[in-house]
Amino acid sequence: MILVWMIVILLIGGLLCWLTARANEHAAKWVALVTMLIDAALICGVCFTQRVSSINTWIVDIKTQWIPAYGIGFHLAMDGLSMVMLLLTFFLGTLAVLCSWNEIKQRTGFYYFNLLCTLAGIAGVFVAMDLFLFYFFWEVMLVPMYFLIAIWGDTNRRYAAYKFFIFTQAGGLLMLIAILSLYFIHAAQSGVYSYDYFDLLNTTLQPSAARWIMMGFLVAFVIKLPMVPLHNWLPDAHSEAPTAGSLILAGLLLKTGAYGIMRFVLPLFPQAAEAIAWWAMLLAVIGIVYGAMLAFAQTDIKRLIAYTSVSHMGFVLLGIFSFNAVAMQGVVMQMITHGISTGALFVLAGMLKERLHTRDIESMGGLWSSLPAMGAVGMLFTMASLGLPMLGNFIAEFLVLMGAFTANVPLTVIATFGLVFSAIYSLRFVQKVFLGPSTFQKPLPDFSAREFVMMAALSIAIVWLGVYPQPVLDMVQHAVQAVVTK
Amino acid sequence: MGTTQILFWFLTALALLGAIMVLVSKNPVHSVLWLIVVFFAISGHYILLNAQFLAIVNLIVYAGAIMVLFLFVIMLMNLNAETEPQKSIWMKFFGVATGGLLLSFFISFIVSSIDLKNKTAQLKEGDVGLIKNLGKVLFSDYVIPFEIASILFLSAMVGAVVIGKKD
Amino acid sequence: MDSLQLQALLPFIVLASASVVIILLIAARQSHTVIQITGFLMMCLVVLAMWYVRDVLPRAIMPLLVVDGMAAVFTGLIVFCVLIIGLFSFIYFEEREENPKEYYILIFLGTLGAAVLTISRHFISVFIGLELLSISLYALIAYLRNRNNAVEAGMKYLVLAAMSSAFLLFGMALIYMDTGSMDFDGIAKQLQTQGHSPALFVTGIGLMMVAVCFKLALVPFHLWAADVYQGAPVPVTNFIATVSKIGVFAVLVRFAQAVQLQSYHFAVIIISFVAIVSMVGGNLLAIKQQNIKRLLAYSSIAHLGYLLVAFLPGNAAGIEAGMFYLFAYSITLLAAFGIVTMLSGRQADADQLEAYRGLYWRNPLMGAILTVALLSLAGIPLTAGFIGKFAVLNAGVQQQLWLPVIVLVITSVIGLYYYLRIISTLFAETQVIFPKEKSLHPLFVAGTYGALLVLLILLLGAGIFPSAVIDGIKNFLCQGFRIINF
Repeated sequence: MILVWMIVILLIGGLLCWLTARANEHAAKWVALVTMLIDAALICGVCFTQRVSSINTWIVDIKTQWIPAYGIGFHLAMDGLSMVMLLLTFFLGTLAVLCSWNEIKQRTGFYYFNLLCTLAGIAGVFVAMDLFLFYFFWEVMLVPMYFLIAIWGDTNRRYAAYKFFIFTQAGGLLMLIAILSLYFIHAAQSGVYSYDYFDLLNTTLQPSAARWIMMGFLVAFVIKLPMVPLHNWLPDAHSEAPTAGSLILAGLLLKTGAYGIMRFVLPLFPQAAEAIAWWAMLLAVIGIVYGAMLAFAQTDIKRLIAYTSVSHMGFVLLGIFSFNAVAMQGVVMQMITHGISTGALFVLAGMLKERLHTRDIESMGGLWSSLPAMGAVGMLFTMASLGLPMLGNFIAEFLVLMGAFTANVPLTVIATFGLVFSAIYSLRFVQKVFLGPSTFQKPLPDFSAREFVMMAALSIAIVWLGVYPQPVLDMVQHAVQAVVTK
Repeated sequence: MGTTQILFWFLTALALLGAIMVLVSKNPVHSVLWLIVVFFAISGHYILLNAQFLAIVNLIVYAGAIMVLFLFVIMLMNLNAETEPQKSIWMKFFGVATGGLLLSFFISFIVSSIDLKNKTAQLKEGDVGLIKNLGKVLFSDYVIPFEIASILFLSAMVGAVVIGKKD
Repeated sequence: MDSLQLQALLPFIVLASASVVIILLIAARQSHTVIQITGFLMMCLVVLAMWYVRDVLPRAIMPLLVVDGMAAVFTGLIVFCVLIIGLFSFIYFEEREENPKEYYILIFLGTLGAAVLTISRHFISVFIGLELLSISLYALIAYLRNRNNAVEAGMKYLVLAAMSSAFLLFGMALIYMDTGSMDFDGIAKQLQTQGHSPALFVTGIGLMMVAVCFKLALVPFHLWAADVYQGAPVPVTNFIATVSKIGVFAVLVRFAQAVQLQSYHFAVIIISFVAIVSMVGGNLLAIKQQNIKRLLAYSSIAHLGYLLVAFLPGNAAGIEAGMFYLFAYSITLLAAFGIVTMLSGRQADADQLEAYRGLYWRNPLMGAILTVALLSLAGIPLTAGFIGKFAVLNAGVQQQLWLPVIVLVITSVIGLYYYLRIISTLFAETQVIFPKEKSLHPLFVAGTYGALLVLLILLLGAGIFPSAVIDGIKNFLCQGFRIINF
């Protein structure tokens, strides 16, 4: 029941925000914050009380009928992987509420409603174990995100919002057809009409059918991830979205793609996935290098960070398609640490924009002297992003590369060069923004208390994951093992 | 060849001639008059099929009432060849081409369909068309559609009033 | 005809007498308000009559009519639509100079025509029903004669509908020539004994399809749709978009079920072709529209194309899917046109997209309802339209109709673009002040808002808990299938 509560609390909280904002614009923020904190407390409670073990991989599991006419159930379940993703969701969700505190001045009620609905959809995606329900949540997180970008975004917001929505929806509909095909093949074999993940796992597929159906799923997921030829929506959406939108896009929405591949594509179509593994890894490596190169060329601070995401998500894809436990654990680590480090960079970009009213790094420079604390934190997260040891991303990328090395040596070597590129663009970023001659004469305010709390939480998280990642690795170990042994 | 056969062919020829003349006549009033000829010929066919009621109704309604209306409208609007908008040659060409295609399509289908012979109507047989039988069927089996048809007229009347009345 | 048969026809008799009652009231010089309330009560009476006769069903009234479960579903939907449209009509016509009273007679007569179509099992009743519907529509479309496009729209519809009736009659005559029967079951029996698909029958079906496609505004015969939708008064547009299409689709389903239309290869090819070009054409033509009535016209062309995909399999699942889709589509369009009605001013309809700029911020309730309706048209989860599209895809994938299904998916992504365009207009900033407060009877304003709220609840309810609707349709259809065998 706790999973249902988490989603329901978010939705109710969203509605409350909407209603209270009519009376008092400030009340909505507090309602949203309290909602997020309750959910975060709930998931932490589960995390401390439940232990994942090899006998009991599924910690929570609830299942009821929803639309029996089509064999659709309401099935939510949580294993180690889902739990880690939920922790990340509520952590970043709380930060998203905090970082919109002063940024959003108009229509706050509707804003927080959309924000919480997106988070509800994301939380649902991470725990849905019925494919129809999964698709349902997949779409639920999309619409409010569209509104977040289209209403509170920057100048080019409508274009970015269309692009984001249409790309994702196209993938989503292909996935829906794939789900339906799988459903009917399963029904023809077993006589049971069911969308349940655990039923569908037992389907045996013809190789050709498996290939087509898998492509349907995979396209939806790699658009979200994004993989290189389909990454086009991402820079626009990230740069035009409000800060919290960018944070959620980079920190959480991209992860749903990776989660989907791990949860559905590999277990449901092991042979077909293996058959295309080489191509997937190739595209992943292209993504790593290409993303890094484009990031180097950007002058818009948010676009720069967006392209680093393309590069980092290449590591995720590379790790997934190496099919071994080490790489897979690295993938989960990468998902979390990328969520934190890139999220932090987007928040920083938001803060800079609030102070300087620009996103152009050419017009920044020498900010360290006026904003020393922000400069230090920015330095920390750029270092995290380029994979400095002691910080979380290093562990993640190291594990991925180690795992991938056993699967494909040449591609892994090229991917390793991606790390060098990331060093180049990261240093350019720090150089242009914080160092060099100062262009701003008037004094700028450094962190406020709220900003300090956010940044402190993110910094502690990234350092902690870099120094002692074992709890996370333990939590996901069984889930990862299950994926790999398939 | 019996009398009915001769009559049938005569009426058929008359109907076709009339129809062609409707199209060919330059003067719209002449077209309408030729159309009346076509209706008369077709009514003759109905009589040959032993459907007197239909024949009479066809004469009264189409040849009588509707054609008179046509004439009135044409005279009121004072239509003649000069005021008719000229269509481009391509329009005419496409019209002929599509119409011809549709016609040849129908003819080929109807000719190719098998045992057509058994499906042609038999002259002088059948008594459904007699007024007495028609009335019986109409007020027993088909009473509901008869009633609905009356509502149809209601609808047409209300519509005409709505469109036509002064504000 | 025995008393039970008469009883089964009771709803239709009440419907017919409703128009007579209105005529008498007009003769007695009653006010618009009285007529509106009487009309509303008469429609409620029809619903009550349907409830009252439910045990009598299914019952055939030889040789022309059959009142069975399927007819009950379709008629119920039609009467529901007319109830809502009637409510919207009041505020629309109350503002205008023209005398609105005869409008109600014509609406009820048109409704009777559509209802007769749903119970037809014979060419004669099909034709009479269709003509009753069409003749009422001629006058209804041109009802506001003084406005620019009304008479043009009416003329266009008159000429083309008369043409399509000629095609219908010719097709019926050819089928009669081939089978010697005008009764659906009789035709089916004759076709079975013949044992092949004869040329005359094929031609006849082809010609009848022309008329059906015209009435449903499917692509090669769609030219009237946009102009008529634009020129007609908004409630009449609403009527054309819902009631007339439900009636024609009902008769199509019944005929196809009787003669097993989908077992003929040529018929499947024709219908697939029409479905595909309608989906593509409708969506492409809608993209550029700035007029919301024209846009909805093209979108409804596309939606009828989707509906044909559900019609293609010709099995019980397909019919259920089609019915659900039609239900979802109808309530969605009712809601969307309801908003257009509410916003229309004294001089002109609110059909320009500009009139909707920032609607959400001016009137959150209306903005929210229109947003939900548009999302439902786009097939986004949480709305009825999504479940409808899902059911259609379900039926299509089950029969492995890959081409139509893929086209459906691609075109609905195209469709997203223009729905999103309207939605982002609804949420755009607005500077323009719209000076418009209607001084209407508060009862009717409340009634209209009530109807809109009911539609909103239905849209969301059928999107989240569709089981009730699906089970209802199934139950009724079980009754319907029993009647096929006698």
